[in-house]
Amino acid sequence: MSATFHTVEVELLRSLVGQLLELVQDAQPSAPDADDPLAAALALGDDPDRPTDPVLLRLFPDAYADEEQAAEFRRYTERGLREAKSGAAAVVLASLATPEPGRKGAPDKLQVRLDGEQATAWLRTLTDLRLALGTRLGVEEGDEGYWDSLDDDDPRAYVHHVYEWLGFVQETLVRALSAGLR
Amino acid sequence: MGAVSTAPVEIERPEAEEVVRQDTPWVTVVWNDPVNLMSYVTFVFMTHFGYAKPKAEKLMMDVHHKGRAVVSSGSREEMERDVEAMHGYGLWATLQKSGD
Repeated sequence: MSATFHTVEVELLRSLVGQLLELVQDAQPSAPDADDPLAAALALGDDPDRPTDPVLLRLFPDAYADEEQAAEFRRYTERGLREAKSGAAAVVLASLATPEPGRKGAPDKLQVRLDGEQATAWLRTLTDLRLALGTRLGVEEGDEGYWDSLDDDDPRAYVHHVYEWLGFVQETLVRALSAGLR
Repeated sequence: MGAVSTAPVEIERPEAEEVVRQDTPWVTVVWNDPVNLMSYVTFVFMTHFGYAKPKAEKLMMDVHHKGRAVVSSGSREEMERDVEAMHGYGLWATLQKSGD
């Protein structure tokens, strides 16, 4: 499938996905010694702590109500989840790296072509981006009126606008992918 | 859940299907959140669990209206895999003993 974006939108997506990549890689529990290939291979790092940042806690939530069980689950899964999320973000960045020119007469448009695997990576990454922005903004159910009431020069209004736009892109993509499902 | 959708979604409501079986002591619970799109949550239930659209949509609506829904049941190990997969998709999921 292919999607047409304005050049400005492609730039915005690159920037957002790049930041997401840093976010999910950054807090990686102290990376094992890079000079020791065995330690790296076996991932003998410290156990990941429960994130204090609400965005990271939303991306990597507790799996159990019980604190100890949640910590153990985190120990076994968080590294893999971080790798999966950063892997998906990297796929999205790669697909944005070589957009084709849009149709004639639309010099400010770019076409992005996605195969099935890339489309899935887009879905996951758009979700992670929206979770990050939505958590940071404090988005709640049925609060559209509040966001609409903000002044245009309120930076949160801009962030919410981007959040909504990402939702529009994702909705379009989900619909395209769901068409093949029964 | 956030809804970008344009028109109200028409949901077929099949007879309530009992997801929990007696021999499956653990369940995966997906919780409502204000961010994930209804269409995306349905898509995840269809692709990860292989549920038909009516069942996936019913579970999604349960999450949306009741705040949570049991989406799968089985051994603890199976449920941990499901929860991990849900977190990979960005859904807020937990596991617990059936009936807790």
